[in-house]
Amino acid sequence: MSRWSKFLIAVILGAAAGLFYGWVVNPVEYVDIAPESLREDYKTDYVLMVGEAFQVDRDIGLAVRRLALLGSSAPSDIVANALNYALQHDYASQDLSLLQLLGEALLSWNPNLEMPAP
Amino acid sequence: MKYDRRGSWYLLTGAVLGIALGLFYSWVISPVEYVDAPPYALREDFKDEYRALVAAAYLYSNDLLRAVDRLAQLKDDETAQSLAIQAQRALSEGRPEAEVRALGILAMAIGEGMPPIEPSIAPTQGIGTPLQVSSDTPTPVLNQPASSLEVPLLATSTLTAIVPVPQPTNTVQPTSTAKSTPTQGAAFVLKETRLLCNPNQSQPLIQVVVQDAAEQPVPSIEIRVTWDGGEDQFFTGLKPELGLGYADFLMIPEIVYSLMLIDGGNSVSDLTAAECQSEDGSRYWGSWLLTFIQP
Repeated sequence: MSRWSKFLIAVILGAAAGLFYGWVVNPVEYVDIAPESLREDYKTDYVLMVGEAFQVDRDIGLAVRRLALLGSSAPSDIVANALNYALQHDYASQDLSLLQLLGEALLSWNPNLEMPAP
Repeated sequence: MKYDRRGSWYLLTGAVLGIALGLFYSWVISPVEYVDAPPYALREDFKDEYRALVAAAYLYSNDLLRAVDRLAQLKDDETAQSLAIQAQRALSEGRPEAEVRALGILAMAIGEGMPPIEPSIAPTQGIGTPLQVSSDTPTPVLNQPASSLEVPLLATSTLTAIVPVPQPTNTVQPTSTAKSTPTQGAAFVLKETRLLCNPNQSQPLIQVVVQDAAEQPVPSIEIRVTWDGGEDQFFTGLKPELGLGYADFLMIPEIVYSLMLIDGGNSVSDLTAAECQSEDGSRYWGSWLLTFIQP
C-alpha cells in the first residue's frame, strides 16, 4: 500500500473520530434555546397555558405575543397544531375546549388593531 | 537501495488532519440540532416568560399539581424561591401588576406546602389529562364564528371532528381580572412599630408584617411607600421563607418615608433609617418592624 493510501486512510479514520467526538461524545450544547425549539408536547402545553391565561385576562394581544415565541407561524396555525396534537394524544376535554376557545378568539383578532406593547 | 527515513509520522499527521476536519464539520458546518428541547434548556428570559405563563395559567385552573409539574420542567433548585425572586424582579422592572400578582400567588401556593415533585420524564401526552376518544385520529376544526376574516386554521382532512366547547369544569371559574382575595373584613390597623437591631442585618429595612384577625399572615397585600420625590410598591408574601404576611423595603439613610397599605388602614409617616449600637460600641443600621393587624 502506498504512502498516500495510508495517509488518506489515516485522514478518514481521524475524521471519523472527530465526527464521533463532535456529534456523540461532546456535541454542541444549546442551553439558551427559544421556545420554538421545544418538543411538540411541551409546545402544546405552552399553547394550552396561553389558552388558560387567556380565559383569565381576556387579552388576545397578550396571547398572540406569547404565541409568537413559538415561531413565526400564524398564531392560529400554532393553536391549530397544538389542538391537533392534543386530539391525537387524548388530552382532556377541558384542555381541548381551552385550545378551541383560544383558536376561535384568534379568528376575530385583527393584528392591525393591535396596539404596541408599552 | 533507497531507504526512507521519514518513518510513520505522516500517519499521525493524517489522523490529526482528519480529526480537525471531523470536528470542524460536526461543530461548525453541521452541528447537532436540538429541535425537541425541554423547557430547562430555554434561555433565561424565556424561562421567565414560561414561569409567568405557568402562574397566569394557574390563576385559571387553580391546579397546583399541574403548575408544579410544569415548573419542574425548568429544573429550578427552589421553585417557590425562583417564582418569588422573579415576582420581585418583575415588580422592580415595572412589569404588569397581574403578572407580579400571579407569580406571587403561585409562589405562595407552592410555599404553603406543596411537596416537590420530579419532572415528568416524557410527557408525551403533555400535562393534560387523557381523554378517551375513538381510535380514528380526527382533525380538529375550530368552529368558525361569523367573521369577515378568513383564517385557514387547519390542514384539510376527510375526517373531521368538532370539539365541543363546554364551559371548563375546573374548580375555579376565572373572572376577567386576576385578583387574589387575601382578606375580607375591616381595614388593617397598625398594631406595633418596633426598631429591630440585628447586627447580621445591617441594612436599614422597613419590615412589614400583615396579619388577619386570627393573627394569621396575610399574603398579597400591596404596600405603598412614598418619600419626597418618589414612591414604590411591594407586596407581602413574596419572601415566603420569611412568612406569607411579610414584606420589606430597603431604606436609604436620611430619606423620610411614609407607608400605607393599599387596601386601607392607617398610614405610617416619618420613617427614617435609625442606628443601633452593638456591645463593642460600633454602630449599624436597624430596621423598622411594622405589624398591621385586622381588628
